[in-house]
Amino acid sequence: MPQPDPQAAAGTPHDVKTAVLVSSGRHPVSGRAGRAREDARAVEMGLSLVGADLSLVHAGDPEQASLRESLEGYLGMYHGLDGGRPGDERDGQLSLLPLRAGEDAVPLLAAWLERSGVRLALTGQRAECGEGSGMVGYLLAERLGWAIATGVAAIERCDAESVTVLQALPQGQRRRLEIRLPCLIAVDAVAEAPRQSAFGPARRGRIETVDDLLPADESRLDTGSAGWQWQPARARPKRLKVVKSTNARDRFKAAAAKSSASGGQVLTDLSPEEAAEKLIDYLRAEKILAQDDQ
Amino acid sequence: MLQTLLPILIFAALAVGAAGAVRRIRLWRQGRRTPMRWHRLALMPKRYLNDLHHVVARDKAIAHTHVATAGGFVAAMALALVVHGFGWRNPILGGLLLAASLCMFLGALAVNRRRIDPPPKLSKGPWQRLSKSLIAYSVGMFLVSLPLVGVAPTVLGGGVLAIVLAAVLVWGLLEMVVGMGWGGPMKHAFAGTFHLAFHRRPERFDDNHPDASPKKTHDVHRGSRSTALFPLDLTAKTLGVEKPADFQWEQLLGFDACVQCGRCQNVCPAYAAGQPLNPKKLIQDMVVGMAGGSDAGYAGSGHPQQAGGIEVGKPGFGNHRGGPTDAIVPQLVEAQTLWACTTCRACVEECPMMIEHVDAIVDMRRFITLERGETPEKGAAAIDNLIATDNPGGLDNASRLDWAADLELPRIQDRPEGVDVLLWLGDGAFDMRNQRTLRSLVKILRTGGVDFAVLGEEERDSGDVARRLGDEATFQRLAERNIATLSRYRFARIVTADPHSFHVLGREYGAFGGDYVVKHHSTFIAELFDGGRISVTAPTQAETVTYHDPCYLGRYNGEFAAPRQVLAALGLEVAEMERSGYRSRCCGGGGGAALSDVPGRARIPDMRMEDVRETGATTVAVACPQCTAMLEGVVEPRPRIRDLAEMVADALVEPTAATNATSAPSQSREEEPA
Amino acid sequence: MSVRRLDPHAERARRNRLHPRHHEFARPAWRWTSADGVTRINPHALGAIGPNGLKRIDRSGAAVEASPVGGASTSAEPARRQVVIDQPEGHVVVVPELPEGRLNDHDRDLFGLARQLADGHDLAVTAVTFLNGVSGFEDAGADRVVDLSAMVTEGYDPETRLAALVDVEAALSPRHWIFADSLPDGGDLGRRLAARLLPQGASQGANASVGDARPATRVWQLSEGQTLSRAGDRQDILRDVARVLLALPECAEPVSETRHEARVIELATMGGELSSAANEVAASGVIDRGRVAVDPQEIPLAQAPFILSAGRGIGDWEGYHHAARVLGASEGASRVAVDDGYMPRSRQVGATGTFVTASCYVAVGISGAVQHLQGIAKCQRVIAINNDPSCDMVKRADLALIADGDAVLAAVCERLGQPRDQTGSDGSWTDEESRHAAA
Repeated sequence: MPQPDPQAAAGTPHDVKTAVLVSSGRHPVSGRAGRAREDARAVEMGLSLVGADLSLVHAGDPEQASLRESLEGYLGMYHGLDGGRPGDERDGQLSLLPLRAGEDAVPLLAAWLERSGVRLALTGQRAECGEGSGMVGYLLAERLGWAIATGVAAIERCDAESVTVLQALPQGQRRRLEIRLPCLIAVDAVAEAPRQSAFGPARRGRIETVDDLLPADESRLDTGSAGWQWQPARARPKRLKVVKSTNARDRFKAAAAKSSASGGQVLTDLSPEEAAEKLIDYLRAEKILAQDDQ
Repeated sequence: MLQTLLPILIFAALAVGAAGAVRRIRLWRQGRRTPMRWHRLALMPKRYLNDLHHVVARDKAIAHTHVATAGGFVAAMALALVVHGFGWRNPILGGLLLAASLCMFLGALAVNRRRIDPPPKLSKGPWQRLSKSLIAYSVGMFLVSLPLVGVAPTVLGGGVLAIVLAAVLVWGLLEMVVGMGWGGPMKHAFAGTFHLAFHRRPERFDDNHPDASPKKTHDVHRGSRSTALFPLDLTAKTLGVEKPADFQWEQLLGFDACVQCGRCQNVCPAYAAGQPLNPKKLIQDMVVGMAGGSDAGYAGSGHPQQAGGIEVGKPGFGNHRGGPTDAIVPQLVEAQTLWACTTCRACVEECPMMIEHVDAIVDMRRFITLERGETPEKGAAAIDNLIATDNPGGLDNASRLDWAADLELPRIQDRPEGVDVLLWLGDGAFDMRNQRTLRSLVKILRTGGVDFAVLGEEERDSGDVARRLGDEATFQRLAERNIATLSRYRFARIVTADPHSFHVLGREYGAFGGDYVVKHHSTFIAELFDGGRISVTAPTQAETVTYHDPCYLGRYNGEFAAPRQVLAALGLEVAEMERSGYRSRCCGGGGGAALSDVPGRARIPDMRMEDVRETGATTVAVACPQCTAMLEGVVEPRPRIRDLAEMVADALVEPTAATNATSAPSQSREEEPA
Repeated sequence: MSVRRLDPHAERARRNRLHPRHHEFARPAWRWTSADGVTRINPHALGAIGPNGLKRIDRSGAAVEASPVGGASTSAEPARRQVVIDQPEGHVVVVPELPEGRLNDHDRDLFGLARQLADGHDLAVTAVTFLNGVSGFEDAGADRVVDLSAMVTEGYDPETRLAALVDVEAALSPRHWIFADSLPDGGDLGRRLAARLLPQGASQGANASVGDARPATRVWQLSEGQTLSRAGDRQDILRDVARVLLALPECAEPVSETRHEARVIELATMGGELSSAANEVAASGVIDRGRVAVDPQEIPLAQAPFILSAGRGIGDWEGYHHAARVLGASEGASRVAVDDGYMPRSRQVGATGTFVTASCYVAVGISGAVQHLQGIAKCQRVIAINNDPSCDMVKRADLALIADGDAVLAAVCERLGQPRDQTGSDGSWTDEESRHAAA
């Protein structure tokens, strides 16, 4: 993918205060806590945009045992920045907004974003634990009146007014979007892979608890999900090929038919030219190559 | 005239040399300090004459040359100090001095002959000059001392001859005495002396093993191997080695002791494969870093693919610079150089100065991984998987026993009373090729009536790969969890088919409180044969077999005999490869090298397979899942690759029906035809 | 062939494993574990009789991915029953994806889901489309169609579309909205609408109806008036049907037995108060700057739509690279080609390299090791060019050309008017890129 160097393209991206909303990830095999895959890519995108000026924020239960483990994963990405001069690097910093179970994260995050003057917020598309609805970004954008774009694969340039991004489309295709600041960007899984989380920076990174964002008496309980039942995910049933027919014989034949492929076509005794022609014809028939070629 | 000049010359040289030596000591002491153990200085002569000499003596001619030259020099210098320096002109001492000079001269001639057309492993530059300097010193000392025994006119003074003689002697003294302190080739003697005394791994020397029989040569190992990596304090300010001053001072001292003999270069698999690593150059890079400057003065083979290339003596060094407090990577050493190492320890094994290359490389890797987060891509993925799933493949750890669903392996969880053998499966349990080996091993254990059990999904990766890739944090986490798991069960010993697990469990867990009796399966099978608990049928047809020593079994743990005993018990003739035993060439799969995948001219397993083909063997016996995988990756046609366990299991004689009924799994029907 | 008759006695013995003569009648197992722990396979006991009467054992993996060729479906499909709803009580609105202007399978599933919600409640399934002239809504199951193509521009403009949907909300007050949960299209629009519809402060719990105001995302099943949506961390959420549903593919069976009228309705006639996004052009936050031409070599291998892959059979590597440029294909390689240093490790296809999902995969000079075939299992069309007609890749391929790979690639370049010696070795990919049909 074209991964332009945003620092070079943009004038002074450091003017745009940038933050990444990170969540606690779950490994797909072991279920162990760690960096969420899309959030880690968002952090990578933010680090390559503004370096160690990037701030991180997480709203979660500080009592949860595995929380520090996953948040340190993000802080461990603060290396190789600031022109790569060793010894010159700054440690990562993360604001932890304490949230008890059953509370809504959106008002907290919105208040934090407003207070800290963030104009560009990055995040993954969906959290890996909890509801994972992917709604937080949209609710924040709606609440703050920000623009939002999803499926972003790369940031091309960023200035004081807007940010130009590439949006991922299926099969490696890209679309260029210009988004007015302030905005929220949901990073796609095809964005540049996150840098390794290193132990040293992770150990040194600071996690700062911010708990005076909202009036203490305000109830932030999230009642919307009160009637929901949570259950372990069931395997989705495979859809069966059901053949509709008025005729029993046809239905039987369809059900009994072997699902073998029609079989590959094997062409032997070809000269290279003939083979080339067959290949081109096939590719054109399958619309891989366009027809109008001479 | 010479009578007056000589003492001045000698003492001046000693004084200037001493000043240089003090400066040199300061350079070493830039490293991290450790408590000084002065009494170890007393151990030095024995270590020098015994341990070091045994390594040198693997090449007899060089050993004799070195004895003559070094011995001659030490004697001549000491006598010259007495005779010429202090003016005790005793004819007997003079005669001894003449003899010593002559001895040194003969040695120097041999050195010189080697230098006429030096093999590529040797460095040139000042080292070419050294042989001439040796001759100059010995000749000068000889001639100057002749009057003492009255052979030449007592008054040699005056005239051109005396001036020429003095000049020759000055040359010799400059090289031998001044150069020793100020970083000439003779530095190796001075630094080497202290290096031997303050070596970071004293276990490598015989003085730590009182029972060691002096008759045995060093090639037969006496359990004196010290190969476990040093644990890293994860609370330290910086982790690993970023700049030369981050090394321990003994390590810096060790680098300075290098004689640039190139034995490491000759045995390094990465160097032979054209990967950008030359252990000799790496050590010299460290010296450059310690002293500050560039590598322009280096006159040997460089790291392949980098400036200077591998052609000997080709100019082009000087692009890499360093200083004691400057970062090593990438200004002085490029990261690819460090990642090319397979940690096979062939260089350490060969080094006559007993320099610890692998420790240095892992120290630098630790910094790159733990502080910079720049582990090569696949290595970083493996580490992430280890953190998340406890195995480097990112697989569900609960599927560790899936391959053995039909074997009904006994679980140690069901055996609270304890078992004899805990079978440690290793990560090979996820690999279909290695599962065949494990099946064979299970069959052997059952036939031998061994009381064994497995940990099942409670087993985690030993942490070997993480540790060699420099991720000490992940290694220690895995080690602590494994040790906690093992502490819950009772077993007499651990048997594993994976030399890497064998090494880590047996040698490296000790530092974290896990002390176990660990046996490699080759050792255990050999014991079963010895105890008469298993028997095999003779081979039906003659076959040429060779055996590939895994680094982590052989060089790391000294087990060379058991695999060969097993092959002998099978009635097979072993055609040894030229490089076997302690000189075995690595398969290229150790130390995470298969993950970092540094490109080279050739692939290491291909080169190893060439070694196999040279023996004419049709089967190569292996004893390590990593070696199996690497060698089987060689494009066919090639000799068959079979694990020792597979070979034994195939030839096994089934025990009597009574035991059979209890131990063998019953025929089970699995699936109806499709 | 003689007629196979069932012997009831033998059948009973076969089924009953305790029957004394069970072993005589049981069909032999084709795989079992022998006494010494080795897995044994009896090749005579597995496989199936092929159409030409020969027994075939198919290990190629081809059968798994291939879909059956449905000859019967066109011939004997029963006539659909026409359903007309004249005066619906309300609407279930479906916003289909319509990639390339056509309904796809996911869209049909959404309509199937909508029908489950609508039928029996006298609701109309209403399709909302931003495109003109889409066909097939009758069979898909739409009673009404709202055409918003006049209100939006072409290209990606989620904010205008959201405004148009808000108009629909005002006009129809649909009981449910159904979107495809796919990014960056339906999933994005649906979430925007859900966020807009959710009253500010709703999460504070003042309103009793907030429970269903929260959208249900990743819905994959509707049963007994409740939806199952997939949440994070391997959990499902079972909840009442929300107002806005974002549904996964195969969330419901598509409509197959009925035909609907798909009557086009105008929003203006439906009453309600139009905020009319068309009149009031808000300062747009997201501006579409068009598609970006992507160098095929820059696309990560796992996503590349068209791969030209090379193995040991390639001798002329320059010619191969040139052919990849001429065809506009991403380059792939077998493990051996990578090991031999001809291709970088990042280009290795297979179980030990990258699993690819190309819609077209051309394997030149690759014999097809098991790991490689595993890596291309998801490719829709595989073409093999190989000298050896017996190799596994040829068996897997949909089209196999038995010829020398180098020569064929050279001839292909020649035929496409770009023989190698005429263009520079750094021939541009962009001109070919423009000729690509959207694959």
